[in-house]
Amino acid sequence: MRTHIYAFGSICRGDVSPGSDVDLLALVEEYEPRFDPDTYSIYSYKRIGEIWEEGNPFAWHLSLEAKLSFSSDNFDPLKLLGTPGPYRNCARDCDKFRSLFFDARKSLERAHTSKIFDLSTVFLGIRNLATCFSLGVLRQPDFSRHSALRLGERSLSIPRQSYEVLERSRILCTRGYGAKVSDEEVELASANFSLIEQWMTTLVQEAQHHAA
Amino acid sequence: MQHEFNNRIAAQRAILKIVNGNGWEAEDLFGLSHKAIERWVSINRLDPNSALVNLVKEAAQKLFFLANKSQEQITSEYERTSSEVSAIRDALAAELAGVNPSHF
Repeated sequence: MRTHIYAFGSICRGDVSPGSDVDLLALVEEYEPRFDPDTYSIYSYKRIGEIWEEGNPFAWHLSLEAKLSFSSDNFDPLKLLGTPGPYRNCARDCDKFRSLFFDARKSLERAHTSKIFDLSTVFLGIRNLATCFSLGVLRQPDFSRHSALRLGERSLSIPRQSYEVLERSRILCTRGYGAKVSDEEVELASANFSLIEQWMTTLVQEAQHHAA
Repeated sequence: MQHEFNNRIAAQRAILKIVNGNGWEAEDLFGLSHKAIERWVSINRLDPNSALVNLVKEAAQKLFFLANKSQEQITSEYERTSSEVSAIRDALAAELAGVNPSHF
């Protein structure tokens, strides 16, 4: 059966760290149990074609970074797809990731459990919003974990220590790796939420203006 | 559709809040990735074959993509599995109701 395997992400950019995982994409005709979804992003050829046409950020990510590792037929299907369609949903996606931040903040304020997960979600919102903005507005896509710090004058500006607590939370939730985040560190990171909201709102507004 | 991704994050949060509701002696469950679950089971010395751990793994399987793949924002899987996730959430709540987590 036709199968293709690609590597993408930090392993292709070279910016690996102890918290990095190895991002692998498997393209398959139909469901194949031999590919563990914890290890691979698994897509059918049909679905990958659809996201290419949509100009989805993940399609752009793959088109710019993915490296073919295995091909059952000596073809490189991602290369054959060419350049993805234009990314038209930037403003909507940026707003969506700001909502993700609002949800996490509300959860942190109301509940006393799972705070590290909420901080992790804040980091996810920051990173994804910055990545979408870099692709849709700046036209200089940055798919790295630290995309929010690589937007030039629009970069997120919060104390390094707070940013690192958010990043550590994300790595704890996804890779189960690292030292537990203390209550004091939760407070430290939460103290910068108004700065994060301000930064997100500025980017969302610029994305909306760009789309208009 | 617009907030489908956010809904999946909310579903993961709901599961975690139930699991962590009573507090764990050593460490909470931080996320539903395979590695986060492994860490939680190990550090709290849980029985990996207990009903609780199996339910958590089942929820993780249903929500797998969001647990570990931050940049994939696209799948129609969740629409099909959201009701199954709700059922697992209820089962977890029942499993944990009035029970000291250290017994697992």
